[in-house]
Amino acid sequence: MEGLDLERVLERARGQDTEALGEIYRHYVRRVFGLCRHMLDSRERAEDATSEVFLKLQRSIKNYDGSIPFPRWLLRVAANQCIDALRRQRRRRQLIVEGENEAEVLEAPGAGPSPLSAVVSKEERTRVRDAIAGLPDTFRLPLVLRYYSDLSYDEIARQLGLQRNNVAILIFRAKQELRRKLARGSK
Amino acid sequence: MECYSEQTCAIFVDGELAADEAQSLQKHLASCQRCRKLVDALRAENCALGESLNELPQETIRPVDFSPARWTWRREDLTILAAALALGSMVVSWIDKLSIPSALEWLNPFSPDFLLNMIFNLSYYFAHGGTAMLADYAAVVGGIFLLLGGATLLLARRWRLHQSTFRVLTVLVTLSLPTLALDRRHGEFVTVAANETVDDTLVAKGNTVVIEGVVNGDLLVFARTLEVRGTVKGDVVSLANRTVVSGIVEGRIFNCSQSLDLDGELGHSLYSWGRSSRVDRRAHLGESIVAGGDISLEGEVKRSATFFGNVDVSGTVGRDLTMAGRSLTLTNAARVGGNLTARVRELRDVHIADGASISGKRDIQLRVRRNQFTRPRFYLHLVVWLAAAMLVGWLCLTLFPGFSQACTQAVGSGWRSLALGLGVLAGVPVAIVVAAITLVGIPISLMLLGVYIAALCLAKVWVGAFLGRILLKPAGATKRDWLLGLLAGLLILTIVGFIPYLGGLVRFGVVCLGLGAFAWQLYQSSRPVMTS
Repeated sequence: MEGLDLERVLERARGQDTEALGEIYRHYVRRVFGLCRHMLDSRERAEDATSEVFLKLQRSIKNYDGSIPFPRWLLRVAANQCIDALRRQRRRRQLIVEGENEAEVLEAPGAGPSPLSAVVSKEERTRVRDAIAGLPDTFRLPLVLRYYSDLSYDEIARQLGLQRNNVAILIFRAKQELRRKLARGSK
Repeated sequence: MECYSEQTCAIFVDGELAADEAQSLQKHLASCQRCRKLVDALRAENCALGESLNELPQETIRPVDFSPARWTWRREDLTILAAALALGSMVVSWIDKLSIPSALEWLNPFSPDFLLNMIFNLSYYFAHGGTAMLADYAAVVGGIFLLLGGATLLLARRWRLHQSTFRVLTVLVTLSLPTLALDRRHGEFVTVAANETVDDTLVAKGNTVVIEGVVNGDLLVFARTLEVRGTVKGDVVSLANRTVVSGIVEGRIFNCSQSLDLDGELGHSLYSWGRSSRVDRRAHLGESIVAGGDISLEGEVKRSATFFGNVDVSGTVGRDLTMAGRSLTLTNAARVGGNLTARVRELRDVHIADGASISGKRDIQLRVRRNQFTRPRFYLHLVVWLAAAMLVGWLCLTLFPGFSQACTQAVGSGWRSLALGLGVLAGVPVAIVVAAITLVGIPISLMLLGVYIAALCLAKVWVGAFLGRILLKPAGATKRDWLLGLLAGLLILTIVGFIPYLGGLVRFGVVCLGLGAFAWQLYQSSRPVMTS
């Protein structure tokens, strides 16, 4: 579903056509579920969040103005839903609190080959996903939003209520942490 | 040239480095093999990350249930349902023929009598500041609901009553209800004959209900005419068009009839609200009387009397007599054992005959209506009201952001909201009364009443927010914009509301619009969203 086809479906969905909404659901549910699964800590929560995203879609689709591609917009909505769910679960407004994101001394360039760059097999990819799932929210959320949802640093900063600089640092540190985990695991 | 840090390279690879910096890094890469390698490694790393993340977990997704009530039936729920059904069937078989008896025709909102009454009462009500009273009442009830709702929301997270315990408690409470001993009778004429004794509480409905014998419990009557010639040992609750008590009631009388005639013995107090209440010469009240409407007191009241409306006293009041209303007449035969306090509009409406005896002080106060705009209390009241409305708006927006925004938007549909609001405004009270009459429906009617009052309170909020949005035209749809719009809208509505005549109309329109938008949105959110 791309280009004109998507536009037509969106137009129908804006007019509350349930069939069109169903089509959107079928087409994007796995993608949305994937994001929720990466952002939330259990499959049940991810399923709940996915349902919520599509239930909200009917009401909020009229707010979609076409300024960004629809899948990106939908993933942004889904990310918001997950962040809300995490906030409720953690009972705090700011998911990533001050002090967790200060910069540390940065490594000099050329620090050895990354265990991440050598990922090729399915098993290895699963291992990477498991390692990401084991990261704390502070690292996992920016990482997933960047490399799964393809959000820019600015968008991530807005969604998580952070400074843009902090997003860069968090993503960098998340990768370092991930390398460490994977290196430890492969030993 | 000095090499770039790994972090800068990583930002560069993410395409997030500022243009000029990216350009110089690019130049540097051409000359530095070490950094080039690093950038390549980081790119490969990003690819691996993206691939790993984008390979969706091979988990089957539970099909999303898009029906409005996402309720999973569990064994306990089924138990409760079974218990409720069993209880329901018991109650239904017990109060057979649940149809509204013809005796309640006078409550029928579509009968000419009712319409006339309603028009008369409504005009009287609005002429005497009824709207302000309704608003105050609604504010109080709304406040209580908010407080309870807020407390529930806050406490539910911290203090989770074990679910199964809660369910068992629910079942136990529900099952304990029918242990009340009741006797129910219905028909055109319901009679408890002179030689008959009813040992339980009697619920009677019919055209005419006549009690000539003895009722040992309470008496609850829905009828056109109720006549108590015999004895009721408990309380009498009358929802009859005309109530005549010439026998003995040992408890209290709660009366909500068009007319009440009491010329028998009453052990305790009388609470009466209707068009006319008459306490006959032979009547004797063991305690006090509280009554509204046209009241004529010829008999004896042992304790105090409190009246609202037009009062005519030629009997005896043991203690204080307090009244507020249009007129007060005390004839030569009137005896008041305590103080007389009256609040009337004009002194000429008070007639106290020379022969009337008042043992205590006389305190006749005139209700002078000062211009409300000159009273500081009025402004204080206004500020408190606005603050409360803003708080309610903020709470709604925080708890139900989507719903609040949608309600505000729904106001914009104009005629649809107005017509729907009008229908809901008139229809829901009828539904509440109908549900309450069937007894089984009392909890439903109470819930409905709660929602109705909450919706009335919220109506102004939706319309205010909508009006504010039209006027301020905010660029975004943030919480701040919405609240700012609400404040502006509420201020305008309040000011317009004070314009004579037009103000009343505007207020009415606002209630209808807001109610309509609320109802529409409730309906929308309860509709199945889509099929998966």
